[in-house]
Amino acid sequence: MTASLPQFPWLTLLIFLPLAGALLCLLHSKRPTDCRWLALVTSLAVFVVTVFLFIAHGQGDGRWLLYEDAVWIERYGIRYVLALDGIALLMVMLTAFMQMAAVLLAWRVERHVASFFALLLLLEAGLMGIFLAYDLVLFYLFWEVALIPMFFLISVWGGVNRRQAALKFFLYTLVGSFFMLIAIIALYQIHGAQSGVYTFVIGDLLQTQLTAAQEGWLFAGFMAAFIVKSPLVPFHTWLTDALTESPAAGSLDLTGLLLKTGIYGLIRIAFPLFPNATANFLPVLGILALVGLFHAAWSAYHQDDIKRLLAYSSISHLGLVVLGLAAWQFTAWEGSILLMVTHGITTGALFVLVALIRERTGTHSMQELGGLWGQTPCLAFMLLLFSLASLGLPGLANFAGEILVLLGTFQQHPVWAVIALIGVVFAAAYMLRMIQGVIWGPAQKERTLPDLTTREWLILLPMAILVVWIGIYPEPFLAPLHGTVEILLAGGLP
Amino acid sequence: MSLLDLLAMLPILILVFGGTAILMAGAWFRQPVPLLAAGTVTALLAALAAGTVPPPVNEIAGLFSAGGYARFYTILWSLLAAAGLMVASRYIIEKKIGPGEYVSLVLYAAAGMALLSSATHLLGLFLALETFTLAFYILIASNRRCALAAEAGLKYLLMGAVATGFMAFGIALIYAASGTLALPDAVVRLTTETGQLQAWGLLGWGMVLIAVGFKISLAPFHLWTADVYMGAPAPVGGLLATGSKGAVVAALVGVLAMAGPVWNDLVDLIWLLAALTMLVGAFSALSQKNLKRLLAYSSVTHMGTLLVGLLCQTSEGLAATTFYVVVYVIASFGAFAIIASLADERGEPMEFDQWRGLGYRHPVRCGVLALILLSLAGLPATAGFMAKFAIFDAALKSGYVGLVVIGIFASVISFAFYLRVTMLLFQSEESAPRWHKGTAPEHAVLAVCASAILLLGLFPGILFNLIAQVLP
Repeated sequence: MTASLPQFPWLTLLIFLPLAGALLCLLHSKRPTDCRWLALVTSLAVFVVTVFLFIAHGQGDGRWLLYEDAVWIERYGIRYVLALDGIALLMVMLTAFMQMAAVLLAWRVERHVASFFALLLLLEAGLMGIFLAYDLVLFYLFWEVALIPMFFLISVWGGVNRRQAALKFFLYTLVGSFFMLIAIIALYQIHGAQSGVYTFVIGDLLQTQLTAAQEGWLFAGFMAAFIVKSPLVPFHTWLTDALTESPAAGSLDLTGLLLKTGIYGLIRIAFPLFPNATANFLPVLGILALVGLFHAAWSAYHQDDIKRLLAYSSISHLGLVVLGLAAWQFTAWEGSILLMVTHGITTGALFVLVALIRERTGTHSMQELGGLWGQTPCLAFMLLLFSLASLGLPGLANFAGEILVLLGTFQQHPVWAVIALIGVVFAAAYMLRMIQGVIWGPAQKERTLPDLTTREWLILLPMAILVVWIGIYPEPFLAPLHGTVEILLAGGLP
Repeated sequence: MSLLDLLAMLPILILVFGGTAILMAGAWFRQPVPLLAAGTVTALLAALAAGTVPPPVNEIAGLFSAGGYARFYTILWSLLAAAGLMVASRYIIEKKIGPGEYVSLVLYAAAGMALLSSATHLLGLFLALETFTLAFYILIASNRRCALAAEAGLKYLLMGAVATGFMAFGIALIYAASGTLALPDAVVRLTTETGQLQAWGLLGWGMVLIAVGFKISLAPFHLWTADVYMGAPAPVGGLLATGSKGAVVAALVGVLAMAGPVWNDLVDLIWLLAALTMLVGAFSALSQKNLKRLLAYSSVTHMGTLLVGLLCQTSEGLAATTFYVVVYVIASFGAFAIIASLADERGEPMEFDQWRGLGYRHPVRCGVLALILLSLAGLPATAGFMAKFAIFDAALKSGYVGLVVIGIFASVISFAFYLRVTMLLFQSEESAPRWHKGTAPEHAVLAVCASAILLLGLFPGILFNLIAQVLP
């Protein structure tokens, strides 16, 4: 597209490195230990690349930081376009970071180790693709391809009801994305008929002249996919089942990353492509977000299973993220995007901890837990830290995002902000209830449980450091957002 | 028929004479492996001849075309026959089926399918259709010790007879109305006439459509499909599900490319058939407990989707249809090939219970099966997605929004039943028994299918460019 010098295809590397790792894992299926190390080295390498990109391009002015473009399927004008802006940069880093935690968390998986790690890496490749793709067909491809590894992770390594949960997860998101597919093809044809250029590149499709009705329908098609994936109430039931039944590393990727793809799709695709429909829909989106925030918080409060509780808390937090977007205001947007990242880390860490508790005690049920503070102090401390971060304690990560969302929203819709604030208090209620049930109180049984091992420290400590860092000094993570958010709010794309 | 005509028919002649030679040789020489190898080589030679020897004339005896489109399908069906023979080798030996007969019948069937795909004359169409249908009557029931196969053979025979009747009567009516059997004219002349004549012609075409409906199992003429596929031996089922249907669709593409507005009168009917076929196929597949029956209903759905492509009548629609045929043939044949490669003295694994956990016993082949099923469902990055994408794109361009919505709805349902099988392959590993480990030719066929699915999924341009060159 541009006549610049051929640069090293960093973005392609981000997608194909995990893919190569997955293939190597499958080839070494007879040696499980090799597979574990292979997965760890691959995800570490990907993370190093993202950190390098962050250092090299973290101060962008809102234009594309990196852009790769190649002809792919000429007949339909489908191109292989990858683009990195500030938001994508954060998401890509989050993906690489969480992936390392997921690999470490899955270290002790014993059944079909090679396939497990191959699927985990394939999932990473798919997620990277979703965050980077800038051609609608390419985006759709990654969007669907990412479902397959998750489907198998749940259906093979999951809990008791894994099969129903896996199928429900797949079909819910599939139905949504088929609407998106129709909308994609329709938009492509409308644009092609107008301009004579048949293309799926999002940047080019921005110029399409749409009637109000067309825009509404196409927007609805995209929203169907993104709302189900986000998920907004009432399309959220697949998530609680999937999260509950998924193996630990799967829950981590699902809540930390896969959920973010829906909101990312809103920001990067649906809003810019259909500005008028978006403007009309924002109030509805805000109300949906508020309903979700409350409904999920209410449900979370009544759970006994801590994994389900965290699943609902995820939905509740994402409601707040969407609320910030619906406010359509600079501060709120930055807050939303930051909250997306920090929610990924905190809730991810909580899912890690739940998995560790499960490994030790064999249960998720609060009734059977309690008194962990005395038995496993380090683990209990971590649980306390991340729970407090999750409920938005000042000085910890989520607070930074939440306060920005609330401040920004207040400027546009004071009523929403006030209602949302009450919802945030709710979050404190269910989180504290969980801490009370798990950490404090008398131990249910006299038992000696091992505390955190080195591997577990390796997972949790970087997360803890990040949570404190972002809580105290979020600016480095907001810096790449400034320019991008400004442009997006003005209705453009970099 | 001149010498040039014969040269243009070279690939068909190789198939037919090669088949006959093998049949004769088989009478004295009962060693199956050399005969099968000879059959495979013959089929490959035919494909090679079709690809490399340019036809000196464009039409053979006014019955068959020898153009690029005909050659394209000749190659496809010859390769399919070669693959069918490679997959059948163990089956023939174990079931003690006469190798000479089997090989020659498969080659004859391939010749029939190749001729059908290149028919430019209703008589040629009829003859070619009967050629391969006859071969299939015998092939389906070739395992004489199996009652299920005999039942399947009989069912196919009865349904085939009904279809033949409709076809013959329909052709007769068209002849009465138009005064010709040559294909462009038999369609075009109807449109220039008015009144009664056209009505007869329309009735004739309607009957031909019903016959086609039986052959490619469009709802409501699809009821035989599941029983026949289940009873037929997997290597034959693979040919039946792919070649016999694909050739008919190929012939329809040829007819449609030449057809004028006479089809406007049939559009509503075809619309209805397509919608009904997609939905009935998908919903029926949902309740199956047997992989071969599931593949049968899946083929019904796919035929409905193909009809959507045909309905577009644009060059894009026809290109998409041709692409879809190729992709469907590869995937569906691959699924049957896997069943064949797993079969042992206990028979073929068919019931879902037999597939449970098989992914841990035979990871590579079950992995390929999962890929094939996902391609049939239309997952992006597999060839099945590009095929569906092309059809839906063409249909939206032609304004068939309703059909696209129905098609996508059917796709969602298809995902449900394909995923159920995929999930089945990888659950409760303890109980799964081992099946046959497969032979080298079987593995080779599967490797080709799997790579083709991925290659065409990621780089569909290769095939689309070829199709654009050969489309009539």
